[in-house]
Formats: sequence, C-alpha cells, structure tokens
Amino acid sequence: MTIALRLAQFVFLLLSAPLLLGAITRLKAILQRRRGASIWRPYAELGKLFRKEDLVPGSASWLFRAAPRLAFALTVTAVAFLPIVWSNGLLSFAGDFIVLVYLLAFARFLMMLGAFDGGSSFGGMGASREAMVSVLAEAPLVLSLVALAVAARAGSLTAIVAWTGAQDFFNISVVHVLAFAALTLVAIAETGRLPVDNPATHLELTMLHEAMVLEYSGPSLALIEWAQAIKLNLMIALLIALFAPWGIASGVTAGAILLSIGLYVVKLGIAIVAIAVLESCVAKLRMYAVPEIFGIAAALSILAIVFTLMMKR
Amino acid sequence: MRIINFAASQAISSSAVLIFLTLLLLAASRRMSNCISLFAAQSAVIAAQVFATAYAHKSVAALMVGIMVVLIKVVAIPYALFQLVKRLHTSRDVKASIAPAGSVFITAALIFISYSAVQSYAKDLNVARDPLAAAVAIIMSGCFLMTSRNKALMQILGLLILENGIFMAALTTTFGMPLVIEIGIVFDLVMGVFLMGIFMFRIRETFNDLDVSKLRKLRG
Repeated sequence: MTIALRLAQFVFLLLSAPLLLGAITRLKAILQRRRGASIWRPYAELGKLFRKEDLVPGSASWLFRAAPRLAFALTVTAVAFLPIVWSNGLLSFAGDFIVLVYLLAFARFLMMLGAFDGGSSFGGMGASREAMVSVLAEAPLVLSLVALAVAARAGSLTAIVAWTGAQDFFNISVVHVLAFAALTLVAIAETGRLPVDNPATHLELTMLHEAMVLEYSGPSLALIEWAQAIKLNLMIALLIALFAPWGIASGVTAGAILLSIGLYVVKLGIAIVAIAVLESCVAKLRMYAVPEIFGIAAALSILAIVFTLMMKR
Repeated sequence: MRIINFAASQAISSSAVLIFLTLLLLAASRRMSNCISLFAAQSAVIAAQVFATAYAHKSVAALMVGIMVVLIKVVAIPYALFQLVKRLHTSRDVKASIAPAGSVFITAALIFISYSAVQSYAKDLNVARDPLAAAVAIIMSGCFLMTSRNKALMQILGLLILENGIFMAALTTTFGMPLVIEIGIVFDLVMGVFLMGIFMFRIRETFNDLDVSKLRKLRG
C-alpha cells in the first residue's frame, strides 16, 4: 500500500508539471489583463513536439541527441527523493538531498555539453551563461539544505520533513527562515524564472536557458521542456515539503491522505499565485546583476549554518 | 484561549526571527520606498511583541505603549517619510556605498556578533536571549545603514531603526519603560523626523542633491 502511494505521488509530480506551468502562464496573462491560453496548452505543445521530426545539426555528434534524454532521466530520478503528499519519498537514504542537488547539476552539465555540441554561437553563449548561474547557485543551495539537515539532525529528505512536520508552527526557527529565503532565491534561478531568466522570450541578448536549447527540435525539445517543467514542480514541492509540511499524510487512512492532498493543492495554489504576481511585478535583471542575488543567497545560507550551532534542541 | 496564550508566549521568541529578516532585507534593498516599508514592518513586529508582553503581564500601560507604537511608528512616520520622498523629487536609489551582497554579509556578521555579545549577559540577567540579540542587532545595523548609505533620507531611517533597537532592548530587559517616558521618547522621535524633514529641504536647496557625500564641499 505505501509503496503504491509513494509511486503515485512520484508519477503525479511528473505528470502535473506541464499543468503547473500552464496555470502560472494563464494567471500571469490574467494579471496583465489578457485572456491567456488554456492551462492545458503545455500538454498540447508537448504532444505536438513529440510527433515532430528531430532535426540534428550536421556538425553534431551522438551527444546532441543523448543530452536531453539523459538530462530528462536525471531530473526524473531527482523527483523520486521527494516526499509530497505522503511522508516518504519513493527512494530515501541518508544524504539523499545532496544526491538530489547533484543529479540536477549533472542534468544541467549534460544540457550544456549538448548546447556546445550543437555548434551554434547561441548555444555556446547560453551554455556559458547557464554555467555561470549554476556555479553561483550551487553553494547557497547545498549550504541551506545542509543547514536544514543539521537543524533536524537527519540525513534524508524524508527524515528532515518528518522532523519539521513535528515542530510547532509558532516556534519558527531562525535557521528555517534564513534557509527558506536562500532556497527561494536559488529556486528562482535554478528554474530559469524571472528576474534571473525570462522563460517566455526568445530575444537573443537576454536568454539563458532558451539560448541553450535553441538548436533543439521535436522530441528532444519536448523532453527538455518537460524536464524544465518538472524541475519547477520539483523546486516548489521541495520548498513546500521543507518549510510547510504540516498536514502531510503519514498514516494509511483515506481521511489523512485526502486531507494531505487538499492541503498540498492549497499550498501549491499559493505558490502559483506568488510566482505569477512576482513575475508580473519585476523586470529581468541585467546579467551582471545576477551574481548579487546569489551573493545575498550565499550570505543567508551561511548565516543559517551558523545559527544551527546556536539552536536549542 | 489556550492557543492565544501559546501564541503570546511564542510571539516574543519568534519575533526575533522576523526582525532578522527585516534587517537582512533592509541591507539588500536598493529603493527608498522598500526601505520605508521594511521599517514599518519591523515596527509592526515590535508592536506585536509589546502586545504579547501586555497580554502576558496583564498591563494596561504596555497596551497603551503598543497602540502608540502602531499609530506613530507603523502608520504616521512611514507615511511622513513617503510624503517626504514624494515632495523631494529625488531618485529612488538609496545610493549604497557597498554592494547589496556585501551589505547582507556585513549584516549577517552583525547578527552573529550580537548573538555572541549577549550570550553571557542574557544568562546573568535571566532574560530571553533571542529578543535581546535581535535588539542589539537592530542597533548595530541601524548604525551600519546610516554609515553605508549616501542618501540623506537613509540617515533618518537608520536613526529610526536604531531607536527601534533601543526600544526593543528596553522591552526585553525591563518589560518596557514607564508610560510617561515612552510618550516622551515617541514625541521626541516625531519631532526629530519633522526637523530632519525640514533639514532635507534645506540640504537639497543648498546642494541640489540629497547625497551626503557631497556635503564635503562645505569645508573652507
């Protein structure tokens, strides 16, 4: 029974990813007083891309086609560690949050290789920008997750979430507030959202992620877009699980599971509204202003680590 | 009823976290209007703490002080500052002399220093460590904001933040000063903002700018 639940939440997160993207785009359109496309459009787009031909540049090697497939597989594997509506992830072992971070980093590295392999100047430009962002984002991401693990005295995401869930809502710890701030900043950058990257544009000079995948088409592009949507869903689910896990089901009763699903949808809704409002309010940062965000995130996560020493247990 | 009691007792220790967050955001923000809003938010957190203390000790004087803090520091002074920004027609930038990331690092260090500074003191006095550390951190980062921002308006705001810290230190160590003294302090503050507001207009008239680094031209 529990293994079925773990599997169900894993599959749910993978399949709901395009819907999340569609909901954010629709809400942004409404906020900008446009009607916007249906929230199901990303599925239609993926279906269209899967049916199209996969064009490969003449100069590219096997790596060009392998990169998006491997990156997709790695992103999907990373999802397996997350507790979402059920308190255990599909996979769980001590130190799995570090594996999660580096699975995502590996996926990104493969995408960069693929972009260079494509041979266009835009691919290389996008890849080198992406490399800069990911190098800067890695330290705050790992540090804030480590701070949470130390605060919870636990090694796996499942155990950290269980510990946070047992805490009192009023008794917020400094570590969690600081790590939340740092992780949110990093999540925005990692998923290529505004103000670090603009997911809606193909304007050459401002692109990060979009420049990197410019050469891809057909099923490869579909896998890239899907992986990107999954990554956004993963980051939101990670933030919810780490900082607001209250109500997550741990008993196998229908009531607890339904309550957990309901609460999760509410939390997800809040996240969607927050992202849509934020993205409608801010403009994209200049490329040179991006390191500042990571500087702030790094300062916050280091402070979070320092505060784990002072926390009373 | 139980939940209110619990919330009141937790508010005092949890408010420190929110105050640290406002301090870090103040260090990171580049716009005048954001800084003013953050000051109002910080005052609101302190007001919540006063109300929690008033509830815990069943004291009417503390309740009055709390209402006064809300009216003056959360509503009146931020409103006056917003008006000042609007009337002065200046740029939105705070003219920081240190990059935001650097400011955040320094503020983080200040928070750490304040924790280690109050460690033994809090134990001797038998008061909660977190709020006292937060108070010291507010005082220090108020000073830091005053020294590292070149916009003259930020000097007012830094002073107000510093005063918030002193108020909070008094609140945590002695559960607030007598009502008459609090009224005096708040009145002082209002007058201070008023005078400095006039002063701002004079600075702008004389130097055509609110950048304090340009005041050096006065040297004879």
